[in-house]
Amino acid sequence: MGTERTVAVGIGAEELATADMTLNIGPQHPSTHGVLRLRLTLDGERISRAEPIIGYMHRGAEKLFEVRDYRQIIVLANRHDWLSAFSSELGVVVAVERMLGMEIPERAVWARTLLAELNRVLNHLMFLGSYPLEIGAITPVFYAFRERETLQRVMEEASGGRMHYMFNRVGGLKEDLPAGWLDRARAAVREVRSRMSDIEWIIRGNEIFRARTRGVGVLSPEAVLQYGVSGPVARAAGVDFDLRRDEPYLAYGELFGPGRPGRVVRRTEGDCYARFECLLDQVYVSLDLADACLDRLADLPPGPINVRLPKVLKAPEGHTYAWTENPLGINGYFLVSRGEKTPYRMKLRSASYNNIQVLSELLPGNLVADMIAILGSMFFVVGDIDK
Amino acid sequence: MTTSLLAAPPATPLAAGEAPTLEAFGLDPWWLILAKAVLIFVFLMLMVLFEIWFERRFMARMQNRLGPNRVGPLGLLQPIADGLKLPLKEDLVPRGVDRPVFILAPALATMPAFLAFAIIPFGPTVSVFGHQTPLQLADLPVAVLFVLAMSSLGVYGIVLGGWASASPYSLLGGLRSSAQVISYEIGMGLSFVAVFLFAGSLSTSEIVASQERIWYAVVLFPSFVIYAITMVGEVNRIPFDLPEGEGELVGGFHTEYSSLKFGMFMLAEYVNMTTVSALAVTLFLGGWRAPWPISLVDGANAGWWPVLWFMIKLLLTISFFIWLRATLPRVRYDQLMKLGWKVLIPGALAWIMVVATIRVLRNEGISTQQVFFAVAIVLGIYIVASYLWDAVRGNRRDAEEQEATAAERAGAGDSTGGDPMAGGYPVPPLDAPHYHGRNSTSKEVNRA
Amino acid sequence: MGVINLGEPRVGTISRVAPKPIKFVLNWGRRYSLWVFNFGLACCAIEFIATSMSRHDFIRLGVIPFAPGPRQADLMVVSGTVTDKMAPAVKRLYEQMPEPKYVISFGACSNCGGPYWDSYCVTKGVDQLVPVDVYVPGCPPRPEALLHGILRLQEKIAGESLGERYGPASPVPVAQPQAESRPPSPAVLRRPLQRPPQPTSADRPEDPPEASPENPPENPPREPPQPPESSSGQRPDAAPRPGPLPPPNSVRGPADPSEPNLFLP
Repeated sequence: MGTERTVAVGIGAEELATADMTLNIGPQHPSTHGVLRLRLTLDGERISRAEPIIGYMHRGAEKLFEVRDYRQIIVLANRHDWLSAFSSELGVVVAVERMLGMEIPERAVWARTLLAELNRVLNHLMFLGSYPLEIGAITPVFYAFRERETLQRVMEEASGGRMHYMFNRVGGLKEDLPAGWLDRARAAVREVRSRMSDIEWIIRGNEIFRARTRGVGVLSPEAVLQYGVSGPVARAAGVDFDLRRDEPYLAYGELFGPGRPGRVVRRTEGDCYARFECLLDQVYVSLDLADACLDRLADLPPGPINVRLPKVLKAPEGHTYAWTENPLGINGYFLVSRGEKTPYRMKLRSASYNNIQVLSELLPGNLVADMIAILGSMFFVVGDIDK
Repeated sequence: MTTSLLAAPPATPLAAGEAPTLEAFGLDPWWLILAKAVLIFVFLMLMVLFEIWFERRFMARMQNRLGPNRVGPLGLLQPIADGLKLPLKEDLVPRGVDRPVFILAPALATMPAFLAFAIIPFGPTVSVFGHQTPLQLADLPVAVLFVLAMSSLGVYGIVLGGWASASPYSLLGGLRSSAQVISYEIGMGLSFVAVFLFAGSLSTSEIVASQERIWYAVVLFPSFVIYAITMVGEVNRIPFDLPEGEGELVGGFHTEYSSLKFGMFMLAEYVNMTTVSALAVTLFLGGWRAPWPISLVDGANAGWWPVLWFMIKLLLTISFFIWLRATLPRVRYDQLMKLGWKVLIPGALAWIMVVATIRVLRNEGISTQQVFFAVAIVLGIYIVASYLWDAVRGNRRDAEEQEATAAERAGAGDSTGGDPMAGGYPVPPLDAPHYHGRNSTSKEVNRA
Repeated sequence: MGVINLGEPRVGTISRVAPKPIKFVLNWGRRYSLWVFNFGLACCAIEFIATSMSRHDFIRLGVIPFAPGPRQADLMVVSGTVTDKMAPAVKRLYEQMPEPKYVISFGACSNCGGPYWDSYCVTKGVDQLVPVDVYVPGCPPRPEALLHGILRLQEKIAGESLGERYGPASPVPVAQPQAESRPPSPAVLRRPLQRPPQPTSADRPEDPPEASPENPPENPPREPPQPPESSSGQRPDAAPRPGPLPPPNSVRGPADPSEPNLFLP
């Protein structure tokens, strides 16, 4: 129970004195999608203090990295952020490849870019569905999952996994894309693009949805910089930063730029609605990028898609830092190697961890109902927070 | 009561198929009254089962799904499976609850929901075993007020249930419910007033009888809209399901309820949905009267046929509820209050004024056309004037606003623009205020 | 917070006295009305959601996913990694569910720890905390696997008798420590790992010293922990209820000495 008391002046002041109520949201609460816990101090329905309590999903991934070799790490790397598995495993292999100074085949670069963008769409679709669900609209999530299933089918055909693809290898991809897959992927992308309007119309123009999200949970660009918030949440606040454009990896250097399909979606309002719109528009951009990758892959001459590796893969002694623009923000891998077959240390900088820290600044002053809207629009994955 | 009935046989002998009036009530033999009461109970229970099934299937179709289809044909037995299971579950009474209130609350929510249905007319006078009787359990001179009273009583069940549960979620749910009801009951009551003015009665059978020519949903369209909004608020469904508010308050007032007690809350919700839908049909959609093209057929409004029309209208109203649930998000608590107090209640009051004025003018002998003509002239002048006003004042303000936003943007660009990466890696501003234990962020951010 | 004797669940009386056809109907009701409470913890939660969506749609089977909290739920699907920090919450939410309740352990992590088998902070299997009815293997399992698991659970419910599940008549009387007559003291909670209750029969003069609470001696000795990989997705005999039935006067709740107290601080 909070100890703060506000005393009303007048007759019966003692009876009217209100005590603050402490409410524990979570760890298992419908709106925390996962097991984030928030300790809120409420004054009526208004939040006066909020403190995210993390660690309920801590699985010790970083420690486990140290006892897995570089192939096995990928298993754990794609599980901490389960909605962007491909992008997460990408960060690991990019770091290891950089340590090894390895040149990877062009086909692998373009295929990785394509799959990473499809994975981004999958991730965003999940949030585009779950966010309205938290605000009370049931139907969009069903539409979102229809699109997800469409894309998951082609992803599964290539990699064999619905969520955790395990398709990246140091030096390329596990195997070549199946014959005729490019056409099926193109069809899937076209299908998803044509049906995105269903989701868009049912949510974006909804008056109630706007009223719930406009001007709610406004994140200032200063706070974004101070807390290291990244990804669509940061871009919705006006921070123009996207690794795909600013420090290109994979084939993004050729995709971003004037006259090319890549563009950085940005808003300046910084409220929940802007964050949602950012996500929605990024889906279109990613679909465009996927199309560009598909075109390029079709034009590429046949060739290898990975590099033959030694039986025991050892990274040379040293350290490196690889970062990627994951769907939720910047994921960084700081890899320290002592020349053994396992890393000496692999520090993981995950996007959600930083994004969630800003909650203690965003939530106070809002209603409990707004908390749902804000929490949902921060687009976090609990496993990505706790690792 | 009985003596007076015996002493005064019905002045107007009832004929089958005629719209009953208030005098037609209270003449039934006891077995007929009992049968009607039991039938209404059974009807409501069946409607609840049907609604649960219908909601799941109908919503599933809207969501590209099938919905329950394993239990019985088309999944029709799914609610029955739920009904068998729910009461037989362990009945948990958490520690620390206010036991008597906790146990009483579900009953308190359910009973008024059933009672309110007594005054809903299903059809005209029919012949049952030689007795001419209206298809309605009871009618009162203040029948509609009775419904209002009952629905207000039902809210006590929710409020007390939320309070007795001794859980913060339940408490918030109960509080929201009480706040919701005071803002919506008034709007709802006001939306009826126009109907009363037109029908000249508060008795449901007479209101139906007065809609012989045209439905009140057409004549009194604003009232109908207000009622349609408030009735959703009344039964706590999306977009006004704040007392339950799944995403926010877990289950709201019924978070701590399990087994039969939860089942009773659920029952109350669906019975309430039937009741407010039936009331909408009765007050605004012509009651049991056949819709327009069918009403031209001779005998469409006689005998047992009207029950069919009533059921069709009822189901359409219920599907409206389900449609809303599948489409809309939940409004926020303060937005709901704002809508209730600042839009619906003033709107309803203004509309009542208009209706009353028209009635009075008509009584004075001025025809409706003349009134409309006068109103149209006034409105036209008002619209033209407001356009002029906009043209004169609005332009100036627009320009000011544009300047302001441009200035703002320039300011924002100053503080955030530039390269967030200093020397290859992003460097946090080391003198940011939150490092010093302050919560607010300052405008100037030094980048190292 | 003291120790409370929660008492026996008051369910199953009807099932005990009812004739067979009525029992069948009651089981049918429970079988097809499984309101599910998704204990979504990690990756598998997404596949759980995918199963409830249009393509797979387990609502067809009468599994209604709109139970807002544990109090209204019949089925808890634990999908994802249970960490040691989360474990008390899992147990607590399970205890908040009204009887009869069922648990599906969905995915390798909640079955046995999965890829986190050597992590320092992951509970190796949710069955150490709550009795599990159906295990669904996979990492994460496909939605079809969950559908199969649900069907298996429904078969199990159809064949069970609540009267036997909660009834006092136990074919093998399980020995109860004398402490059962009064509520155990709160010190029980702070005790380290303790031996399971000794069986009365003299055929086991001493327990093997490594008998851990996961392997109560009443159970047939289990295979070493392994990810269940049978295609059936079910390991019905592996539910670590102490014996086939809960002991008659056992204290339900956190103080149950027959349950492992591994995760209490």
